[in-house]
Amino acid sequence: MATARTPRSGSPILRLVAVRLVWTAAILLGVSVVAFVLMRALPGDFAIAAAGAQFVQAEVLEAIRREFGLDQPVWVQYLRWLGEALQGDLGRSFVTRRPVTSEIGPRFVVTAQLTLIAALMALAIGGTTGLLSARLRGQTDWVVRLVNGLSLAVPNFVVATLIVLMAGLYFPFLNLFNYTPFLADPLANIGSLLLPALCLALAVSVTVSENTRAAVLEVSSQDFVMVARAKGLRPRRVLGSYLLRNALTPVITVTGLQVASLLGGSILIETIFAIPGMGQYLFDSITSRDYPVIQAIVLLAAAVVVFVNLLVDIAYARADARVRYE
Amino acid sequence: MTADAPLLEVRDLAARFVARAETVEAVRGISFDIRPGEAVGFVGESGCGKSVTARAILRLAPEGSTVALSGSVRYRGQDLLALSERAIRAVRGRRIAMVFQDPMTSLNPVMTVGAQIEDMLREHTDLSRTAIRERAVELLDQVGIENARARVHDHPHQFSGGMRQRVLIAIAISCNPDLLIADEPTTALDVIVQAQILRLLLRLREQMGMSLMLITHDFGVVAGMVERVNVMYRGRIVETGEVDRVFAAPAHPYTRALLDAVPRLAIARGPA
Amino acid sequence: MSETRPEAFEAEAPAAAPRALRRRAGGWLVLGLGLAMLVTIVLVTTLAPLLAPFDPSATSMNSLDGPSARHWLGTDLIGRDVLSRLLWGGRTTLLITLVAVAIALAAGLVLGLLSGYLGGWVDQVVMRVLDVVFAFPVFLLAIAVVAALGPTVPNLIMTIAIVYTPAMARVVRGPVLSVKRWDHVEAARSVGMSEVRIVTRHVLPMVASPIVVETSLTLAQTIFTVTALSFLGLGPPPPDPNWGGMLAEARQFMELAPLTVLGPAAAIVFATLTFILIANGLREVLDVGSRR
Repeated sequence: MATARTPRSGSPILRLVAVRLVWTAAILLGVSVVAFVLMRALPGDFAIAAAGAQFVQAEVLEAIRREFGLDQPVWVQYLRWLGEALQGDLGRSFVTRRPVTSEIGPRFVVTAQLTLIAALMALAIGGTTGLLSARLRGQTDWVVRLVNGLSLAVPNFVVATLIVLMAGLYFPFLNLFNYTPFLADPLANIGSLLLPALCLALAVSVTVSENTRAAVLEVSSQDFVMVARAKGLRPRRVLGSYLLRNALTPVITVTGLQVASLLGGSILIETIFAIPGMGQYLFDSITSRDYPVIQAIVLLAAAVVVFVNLLVDIAYARADARVRYE
Repeated sequence: MTADAPLLEVRDLAARFVARAETVEAVRGISFDIRPGEAVGFVGESGCGKSVTARAILRLAPEGSTVALSGSVRYRGQDLLALSERAIRAVRGRRIAMVFQDPMTSLNPVMTVGAQIEDMLREHTDLSRTAIRERAVELLDQVGIENARARVHDHPHQFSGGMRQRVLIAIAISCNPDLLIADEPTTALDVIVQAQILRLLLRLREQMGMSLMLITHDFGVVAGMVERVNVMYRGRIVETGEVDRVFAAPAHPYTRALLDAVPRLAIARGPA
Repeated sequence: MSETRPEAFEAEAPAAAPRALRRRAGGWLVLGLGLAMLVTIVLVTTLAPLLAPFDPSATSMNSLDGPSARHWLGTDLIGRDVLSRLLWGGRTTLLITLVAVAIALAAGLVLGLLSGYLGGWVDQVVMRVLDVVFAFPVFLLAIAVVAALGPTVPNLIMTIAIVYTPAMARVVRGPVLSVKRWDHVEAARSVGMSEVRIVTRHVLPMVASPIVVETSLTLAQTIFTVTALSFLGLGPPPPDPNWGGMLAEARQFMELAPLTVLGPAAAIVFATLTFILIANGLREVLDVGSRR
């Protein structure tokens, strides 16, 4: 990221990266304002919520107000909060009284893992079906598009519930809720995430599939594919080096942009499969009205989305540059 | 095979595009010969079936479409239309190579030009890796690309249109084909570059002794490049003959119309 | 290239319906199916008071019964009739969905038109603010807002309207940007037509198609969001029935009464599918987006 400091360098890519970095910082600032306002917009007194009880002594409330700086103007409160957030301090949980950051840390890793596996699955499923759909056309195309339309109609939490139901009915010996920490047993850990990740991946795989199909059709009609065939290359090579390598960039981009939807879905999936990630933590925090945690998770998720979008943008520009820029 | 026997013998070739319920006939009744070392021109307006004829020889249909072929295309006595997919692949590029119209879109943007020459050599020859690399440099040099040793590592976007067409020609001649089909090879280029590319084709043909099938809508391009010419109109060959004879005394009214459309200078320079 | 070698030519190629037309016919079919399903949902839920065999809140001793002649879809934990609760629950889900999307559409239209048509700093400000909202995962933002405001029907409607407005505004803005430079818009301006009239008479009709498609897609997503929120316990407060909440409840007693899961699950899928079919049908019929 050191490239940001050399915006005047000749390369259009570096310039683009610099612009995007500044822009990303601005969005993150906006995101922090929204997260802050969300918290302060709570109905009722924030101090009462922080006290976590209905009946509180007046002195206690005063102490809490001072502790959170609630006696100061709102913008001072925001700047103070922002300053702390930038140093990695997102306040303390109302419930455990421990720093939110240390509470979220390990859970974030779990969610990141789940999301990553789901993204890879979506890429694999969507990529394959989209490719088949575009290459074989006819009936295959028709079936893939039908199945895509139908799987879009089944929300991930319904799929997950039905899978859990069927597993309970027909495969009672399978223990679906066997989440294992990565450090305890890496293989079992990944194994325990496969089914949840699949539920999460389904809807995204439809988007990937549709985009793969469009990209492959688009590239298929390019002249260089005809040239490759006229060279007498074997079909596998035409497909790999000519078709797929060119169709890959837009597909990866689209998958990257689905991170927001994956993060949102992980809340439901983690709750259903009892996976101790950020989503389940958010769910628990809502139940216990642990507002600092809710705020922190929302902030973190938005930051991840913004960051991934930045990476996708840069990757795309790089791939594009190799093709187009001087 | 005697020296005078045709390299390519096309008889009653017809191609029809098949799309679900509809069928569109592109060309029919196409018959012609190309002898070893001979250059033959195909002239006609766009949509007359020149390109379809050229692609039918190598059985190349546009992606996603089906083309039904009938008649026969004999290469050294062997019917290409009857070959298996695998067998026709061994002919494509190796025996009969093609150069297409638009150099800007004919190269794979994500591969270096060197790699695009090399994958062809890897497909058709048993040369070693280093030998293939050497040959790629040699080929770029042969088609007049300066500093070829460095430029094999460049991507297509680093080349101009004329240079890209040279690269595509290098790819096409890489396996010493018997026949080079050039489908409107200069149409997308500006005039000066057109002349350079035509001269290059002429030189390579003489050096390598290959046959040339030159397809164009422009009689001016044919002049000086080929010995015989076939004039195509609406999916058929309407006139065929020695290029001098056709220029001097066109038999078909359509040929006359085409000739009238050529600027005088080009004809005056005429067949040398 | 195919290797078929027909012996002879057919004299004439048979005339066939152009591809676009055939595709459009398929679009109408899908759209018709979706609309029929929509009419069914709307009829069944609005007539819930007449159709429902039981009071959705009336408890009975038949806890977690399977389907029977009396309770077609069985009963829940405290003996309430699942079918009746589904019908009544559909009312709430549909009400929230339709009203929220209507608000998001209206807000998106205003923002998108202002932004796209006026351009300049208005466009900059609106788009930058929307960029910030876009950074939040929709579902996460919805959860946070509902959690903050409290899960009541008006709050749910407001939340969903907020989270879907940016997407709407973007869909409106894009085509407006290009349409406003077209000749007939310029012409209208040159003869002194007022800007409001130009927008309503000339710009809006041109951008209607993508907006209609986006709206129906948003409806499908909103069904998801509403039911997912109530699945997490952030739906309309009890004892009002709602699909997501019913599914969550049934999930807890899945081992005892597996079939009670199917009712709410089917209802959610049916409603989502309805709007997806309508969206896909409209996309083909109105020829939005270049799908090949």
